[in-house]
Parts: sequence; structure tokens; C-alpha cells
Amino acid sequence: MTDLLRRLFRTRQGAFGVSILMIVTLICLLGPALAPYSPDRMDFLGRFAAPGVRHWLGADQFGRDELSRLLYGARDTVPAALLATLAGTLVGAVLGTLSAYAGGSWDEAIMRTIDAVMAIPGLLLALLIASTLGGGEQSALLAIAIAFAPGMARITRSVALAARQEEYVAAAIARGESGVRIVFAEMLPNVIAPVIVETTIRVSFAVMLLATLSFLGLGAQPPSSEWGLLVSDGRTYLHDAPWLVLVPGAAIAISAIGFNLLGDGLRDALNPRDER
Amino acid sequence: MTALLEVRNLTLDYATGRGSFRALEDVSLSVEAGEVLGLVGESGSGKTSLAMAVMGHLAGNARLTAGSIRLGGAELTALGPAAMRATLGRRIGMVFQNPSTSLNPTLTLGRQITEVLERHRGLSGREAWKEAVAWLERVELRHAEALMRRYPHEVSGGEKQRVVIATAFAPHPEIVLFDEPTTALDVITGARILELFHKLRAETGVAGLYISHDLGLVARVAENVAVMRGGRIVETGRATHLFAHPTHDYTRRLVDAVPRPHRRLVDDNPGSAELLRAEAIGVSYARRRLFRASPAGGGIDGVSFAIGEGEILGLVGESGSGKSTVARALTGLVRATGSLRLDGVPVTRMRHDYRRAVQIVFQHPDSSLNPRHRVRDILARPLRLYGGSLAQIPTLLRNVNLPADYASRWPHQLSGGEKQRVAIARAFAARPRLVICDEITASLDVSVQASTIELLLQLRRQHGTAYLFITHDLNLIRQIAHRLIVMREGRLVDRLDVKALGSGREHPYTRALMAASPLPVGEETGP
Amino acid sequence: MSLTWLSRRLLLMAYTMLVVAVLVFAITQVLPADAAVTLLGQNATPAALLALRQKLGLTDPTWLQFWHWLWSLLHGNFGTSMRTGLPVGPTMFAALSRSLLLAACSILLMLVIAVPLGVLAALRRGSALDVFASLVSYLGISVPEFVTATFVLVVLADRLGWLPATGYVPLSQHFADGVRHLIAPVLTISLVLIAHVARMMRSETIDVLASDYVRAAQLKGLLRRTVLVRHVLRNALLPVVTVVALDVGYLLGGIIVVEEIFAIPGIGRELLIAIQNRDLPSIQAGALIMAGTYAVANLLADIAYALLDPRLRYD
Repeated sequence: MTDLLRRLFRTRQGAFGVSILMIVTLICLLGPALAPYSPDRMDFLGRFAAPGVRHWLGADQFGRDELSRLLYGARDTVPAALLATLAGTLVGAVLGTLSAYAGGSWDEAIMRTIDAVMAIPGLLLALLIASTLGGGEQSALLAIAIAFAPGMARITRSVALAARQEEYVAAAIARGESGVRIVFAEMLPNVIAPVIVETTIRVSFAVMLLATLSFLGLGAQPPSSEWGLLVSDGRTYLHDAPWLVLVPGAAIAISAIGFNLLGDGLRDALNPRDER
Repeated sequence: MTALLEVRNLTLDYATGRGSFRALEDVSLSVEAGEVLGLVGESGSGKTSLAMAVMGHLAGNARLTAGSIRLGGAELTALGPAAMRATLGRRIGMVFQNPSTSLNPTLTLGRQITEVLERHRGLSGREAWKEAVAWLERVELRHAEALMRRYPHEVSGGEKQRVVIATAFAPHPEIVLFDEPTTALDVITGARILELFHKLRAETGVAGLYISHDLGLVARVAENVAVMRGGRIVETGRATHLFAHPTHDYTRRLVDAVPRPHRRLVDDNPGSAELLRAEAIGVSYARRRLFRASPAGGGIDGVSFAIGEGEILGLVGESGSGKSTVARALTGLVRATGSLRLDGVPVTRMRHDYRRAVQIVFQHPDSSLNPRHRVRDILARPLRLYGGSLAQIPTLLRNVNLPADYASRWPHQLSGGEKQRVAIARAFAARPRLVICDEITASLDVSVQASTIELLLQLRRQHGTAYLFITHDLNLIRQIAHRLIVMREGRLVDRLDVKALGSGREHPYTRALMAASPLPVGEETGP
Repeated sequence: MSLTWLSRRLLLMAYTMLVVAVLVFAITQVLPADAAVTLLGQNATPAALLALRQKLGLTDPTWLQFWHWLWSLLHGNFGTSMRTGLPVGPTMFAALSRSLLLAACSILLMLVIAVPLGVLAALRRGSALDVFASLVSYLGISVPEFVTATFVLVVLADRLGWLPATGYVPLSQHFADGVRHLIAPVLTISLVLIAHVARMMRSETIDVLASDYVRAAQLKGLLRRTVLVRHVLRNALLPVVTVVALDVGYLLGGIIVVEEIFAIPGIGRELLIAIQNRDLPSIQAGALIMAGTYAVANLLADIAYALLDPRLRYD
């Protein structure tokens, strides 16, 4: 683990990515403790206060402190995106591995169907599912997980198929190893690295998608200060208080960049052939 | 008289993350007009770096720290990029190792010749076309006009290499660099390309620098030979003399490592007991798919043979002949028709005892060991599966001449030859009675190949193991096999005792294969 | 490119559309919405509601409803909007035409910027331009459209006042004004595409530059320009065709947000309104048309790829 971190830090992307995500993690863990105010504390004299000594990142239309809302809102944004991605990856990876292992017509049928599902744009699929489930944070989360599964299935399958072509898998089959043993001991360790990379990059999409769903009114609901919701709220006062949009917008972007950088760094760090 | 190409005291460094790496050290050689110089060396010897230095095509981190390269008396290293581009192709031609990757896949073959004629001989489009057609005919390609409009993927490897050769010769260069031009081709195709090389040389009198790892080949094409190792030239001399009387220790080892068909490495006769019999084995790769056309090919049909206890059976054929498919059928990696008998007992399902008795070693050292398992774990699997103790791992490693502490290494920390040794150890961990060796030395250097073969024979002496040795190298297999079977296009065409080779009783195809694998130097006078 | 290839490809597309239809129908079945309540209002009597449900076929078994729906779809009948009472098909296709204009402009802008940017970044690896290109790439793929759109609005419309804030003017009505209304949304959408394609173009170019055939072309003494245009660009652009087609799916998703923010009456906005109003026929039609558009874009890309790459021409 420390070995992996050391190799991560050797790549420029990995070092940046880990640093950003460490800060984001700290905010998620300690956000409420760090926040100068309660996120719901209204202050009518401080309405639309510009960023300054009193409100570092300004205040909104009710005089609520933007920094505090941001720090509290992190918990509704990043961990949720992580969870949604992991759920989607799990379902997709199992489906993709099964498809690759089954092979033949089963594989063909599963993959064609997955291709077909992917003809529906991801955001639209998430929107449809979220509205079917009635909207709200949890349904948005589930919608993203479902929308991610087909793509992860496709990637897992192609990686698994590539691993299956390797001679060490042929050697295991020739040796008479059990199917379970071949999948878990021979193929999985080689499949898992690229899947981890892809998953990490997808967390950044999930962060954006989750915020977009909130923005469109199908994700987190007020009084949550989920970051997409903050942008959506602030848009009304764009002219007078642009920071209400810029601050949460930047927060979303920075977290997403963090996961993207980490993914690219992991791609290099997890390559066994580069291990010194 | 000054030489046509003269390299003097050339030293080349690569800047790497951990300081600089010396690729060439004080290299000197010269090629007279009309002469062919052979440059021999194993992988990593610096022969390709030397060729690229002559072509002025070096990576960004490469630096020529000393020396000069002169072509017809003019210093090449002093030329600017534009002048160098006017020299390349025009005065120095090049033929590459792999014709399948050195031709642009999205341009017609014709365009790839005419662009050189237009550039270097100033021909107009139409003139260039006519000249290109003439050159295609000169390299003995039929239907030249039609070929001009074809794309690389539509023609065979041999045809592609002829196009590459035509491109190199068309601007009338003074010297042509050949970088292993037959290595990527089949034995017979490669032999034809060599004939073409001799013909064009006689016609044009062009000088050549012929790079190869294959000593026997270089002896046939070059008058003089330079032997490279570790970025230095260790020995130069007349081809005929140098191979007969190598003075440098490394050259001697290299010459020794070249397979000589008449120097048998195995002198025993196997017993008469039959170990494995394969009857009418067939594999068809055609498959019906839901939305895609069914690809076919690579299959085998009606292949029957037997291997005796402790026997070495050679299976010879060119790529695509189906010889690897036979290996896959015997180890249950593909579904096959026909029947197998082990010790006379029919094998209905590939059960534990069959798998233990019949082990396989694969061609590619990089792919045959799981990169995420340590050597210890790789060797532990067969021991667990077939009964054995993990305490045997050091012995297994020592038996394949590897230090016992290699157990804790990862595959990527091993060289190609070492990986193959681990793969061999893995096979022998099962205490097998037959080991199938599928082109296991094809991607190794000659000296590594020789020691790998030596290892296999040593293990056979210890354990009495039989081998099914699959290869395209007839010279190699003649040294070790008791009997040979020859495959072509999925069928067994010949089956003979190794002593019967050259007696005239062999199949015409076997004879063609023999003719295409020339005897190494000093062998012409052999029995 | 043979006829069997094309027919197989069309068969695949038909299967895709069938799966999409099943999926969309299933999702809209589960949606907590009752067409009869929507049409008659909350105060309708149970008897009136039942009568209407029977008339609409809502009491039929699900598979029969699906069959009726599919049957009328095949006849080009997408149903009637529960919100406006107008036929859904014409409304959606008119909206689609506006979205396609937006998409086409965005793809065009993306190609003009992303391809040279990616190629130059690959040719000058590690240069300031390369760093800039990778910065743009990371930003483009990490900033959601609704944030980009808002930034564009703040800067170009609100602060600088160069562009109208929102709205849509048909080009046929007032060309210059129509173009001015398109600029902000096109910029927003193309940023993501530029990021993605420039990144792809860079890595493809690096791969091709390292290939044996490009080295061979250089060692043949060809001019730099010839090597670059004839040997490098041609081969590096090929895979980008496929990527652009795949990006159409992404673009269609992004268009929902962008049309909403810039108040462009395209298919994305229609869909969003339909979803918010639980207007089932409009949701079904909109989703199907979007998926269909994506499928057609992929088909066109496959055909273009087959025409450009001689290796696939005689499949």
C-alpha cells in the first residue's frame, strides 16, 4: 500500500490527484468541525455578502455562509458519487466477467444488449431512472449506479478476454485447474488493475452526474447543500452574487479533476512491468 | 581507395533517468563499394543502434559523443536535417525486419514506391508509376500493375517484403541496409527473399550492410562479418574464415551455439514402449456467431501419430500449418475430434492423471508466466495440484540452473531465457512423462536457445521424459529428435526417422523445407 | 464494404432500437403516473377515470399495451402529448432539428480546434503547448456542462454583454441574431468534446509517430510535410472517427442541460419538460428519438471508417 503510494507520487498526475483527494477527504470527514457557521444559520443583514473577512466565500440570499454550506455539502456529493460508482462497477464487473467466461452466443447476446442500452445517453438514462424512483438523493445514486453498469461490463469483459488469451491462463487450463481458481487466481489479479483505473476515472463522472441531477431537480433536495444544488440555487442571483455559482462549481470541478488525475496516475503505477 | 561507408570510433550514449547508458563504444567498420558486410549480434548488442546512427535517426535522448560516419568520403554526422533527408532513400536504402508493420496500412503499395521515385529521382506521377511497375517486375512479383493498386493487408508477407526491397533499390542507392529482412518470414519465403537479394546484388552491384542474429545466414550473404556484443565490435574478418576459426571467445561461443544438424546432441534410442498415441485428431475453428460472420482457418484434420516412452518427436511446419493447434488439442485447450491413448488406455476425459503426465511449455516467455504471481507461487501450483511439497521449490529451480533465491522474484525481473526456465520448471514440477515444447526457443537468442536445449536434454537424462518438440527450425530439430512429423495446412504430410532425412525418401515439402534451411558454415563438407 | 456487412449492421441497429423500446417502455410503466388522472385532473370521479383508462387501453395486460405501442410506433405514430394534447411525433422531430443544428455546430468547432491541438501537442511533447492542451483536457472533462454554461453566461453575456443571455432565434428568421444565440451553447458543449478528442488525438498521434511505417517513411528520406500529412495524420485520424460517434451519445446527454440553461427549444428541453410533467408519450418518444439519433450516428461512423480504412473495405 505504501509502495503503491510511493509509485503514485512518482507520477506528476498521481501526486496532484492524491493531494487534491486528500483535501477533499479531509473536508468530507471534518467539514462540520471546520465550518465557521451552521449551514442553515440565516443572517438577513448579511444577505449576498461578498467574500471577505466575515464570510470567506460570501453569503447567499438568506445570508447563509457559503463556506459552511460547501463544507457540509461535500458529504452529500463526493461519498455519494463514490458509492454510486462502486455499486455500478460491481454489477458491471460481474456481468462482464460472466459474459467473457461464458463466451460464444451468450457472450454475443449479452454484449449486444449492453451496446443497445448504451445507445441511451448516460444522463438521459439516469434522468429516466431517477424520475421513476421518485427523485431525491438516493434515487439519483441508484440511477447513476444503473447507468454505469453497462459501460463497466463492457470494459471488464474486454480486459478479461485479453487476460484469457495469455499463455499463463492456457497453462492453468492445461494443468487442470478449476474454473473458479482460473478466474480468481489467474485472471482477476490482472483484470483488477485496469478496472480500478477505469472506476477511479468514472467517480469523476459520477460527481458531475450527481451534481447535474441535483441541478435539474432530480437529485438531492433542499435544504441539503449538495454542490449541484448550490449552483442551481445561486444561478438566480448570477448577476449580483456570481460567487454563489463560481464557488460550488469550482468545488465540483476540482474534485472531478482529482479523480481524473488519480486514475491516470494509477494507470502508470499499477503496471507490474514498471515495478522497478 | 577509401571505403564507401566508413564508421570510425563511434560512441553513442543514451541519457536515461538514472544517468547515461552507453549503446555503442568505439565502433569502427567499413564497407567497400559493392561489398556486403554482415553485422552479427544478439539482442541488445547494439547492432540496431548502429544502423540507426548511420541513418541519422536517433532518439531524442541519444548523443553521439565521439567518432565519424562517412559515406563516399563525406561526413554524415555533419549534415543538417534537410541534407540528411536528401541522402536517406537516395544514397542509402533500407529494408526492414517486419514488412507487415513497415508498410503504411492505409496507402496502396504503388503509392509507397512512387513517393520515393518522385522525391529522389524527380519523376512525374506517370513516369514514377511506370518505373514502379518495372521495379515490381524486377523483384519478381507477378501482376505488377494490379499490385500497384493493392493495400498491404491484401498481399502475403513475402510479397510485402519484395515491395519494401523494390522501394529500397528503386532510387539506385549506393548502399542498402538490411535489418533482419527474413526474420519475420517463414523459412521457405525467407529463402526466396535471399535468392532475390543475391540476384539484385549481381545486377546492381550495390553495397550492403546486412544485420542479423543468424550466423549461418550472414555467412551466406556477406563477404566480411563484424561480430557485435555489448555495444562493441569484438571481431571482424572474412565470413568463411571467421566462422571456421573464431579467435574471440564470444564468437566461438556464438558459433558453437548455432544448431548443426549433423552434430547430434542425443545419441540414445528410445525404448519401444508406446507412451501416447493420437488418432485422427481434428480441430475446427469455424464458429457460428449471432451477428458476425464465422471466421475459420488454423484448424487441423486427421492428424495421427505416436510418441514412445522417452522419445523426442519433432513436429515441423511453417506458421499457420496447425502445429500449435496439435499442442492445444493434446492438452485440452481446444475441443478436438479423434482419440487419444495413454499407455494404450483410451483417454475419454482429460483427467488428473493424464494432465499430470502430459505437460506443456509455451512459446512466449512474456505471456506464459502470470505477471502478478511470484516465481514461488507459479511453481507452487503444480506441486499442490499433483502432490508435492513446497520444500521442493529450491530443488526445482536448481534443476533448471536457476538460483534458489529466484523464488521470491516477479516475472518482470527475469530475462526471457530465465522466464522459459521457470516455465520448464513449472512443467517438471508435475513429474510429467511427456512435455510438449511449443516453439519454446523461437523468441530467444541463439546462445540462450542452445543452453535451453541443453537444459531440456539434461532433464530428460534425469527423468526419462519424452518430448513433443514443435519448431520451424529444421537444423535445430535434426540435432535432438529421434523422429520427425511434418505438417502443412492442417495436415500431416510426412512422418520419418531423422536418419532418413536427405535419403530422398522424404516428402517433396520436407525437401523444400530442408533446402530453405541452409547448412551453417563448415557443414557443407559434413557427411 | 459488402452488402452482407451492411445488412448485418442494420440488423444490429434494429435490435438496438428494440431493446431501447423495451427499456423505455418498462421505465415509463413504472413511473408513478396515471394518464387518466393527468388528463382528467385530481377531482375526477372513479367511474370517469375507469372509463378513460379502458378507452386508453390502460387496463390491458402490459405486454398487450407494449405491443399496441410498438405497432403504432412502426406506423410513425408516437402518440399524443398528455400535456399539450398535440401529436408528439412532429413536436419532437421539430425539436430534434434544432438540437441537431446545435450539435453539428459544436462538432464542427470541436474538429477545428481539437484535431490541430492534439496533433501539435503530440509533435511537441512536453512543450508549453502540450501542457496547455492537457490542462484544457482535464478542465473539459472535469467541469460539468451546467457549470461551464453558467461561467459562459457570466462572462460573455452578463459581464461583457457581447451575447444575448438565453433564447433561440431560428436562422431562417434572422440569421445574424440566430448565430449570436447559438454561440454560448455551442461553446459550452464543444469544450467537453474538445477536451476528449484533443486527448485522443494526441495519444493516437504519438502512437502513429512511434510506428514502424512512419519510421520507414522518414528513412526513405521523404519531406517532413509528406511524412506528417500522408503517413501520420491519415492514420491518426482514423480512430477519432469512432470516438466522435461515441461522443455523440455524450453530447446528446449534455444537450439536455445546455438547452435547459440557454432556453433552446430542442429535444433535450422537451424531454426534461416531459419528465417534469410525467408526460409519458413525450418521454417515450423523446428517449427513443435520442437513442435512434445516436444509433444512426454510430452507423454513419462505421460506414465512414470502413470507407477510410482499406483494411475494412472488403469485410
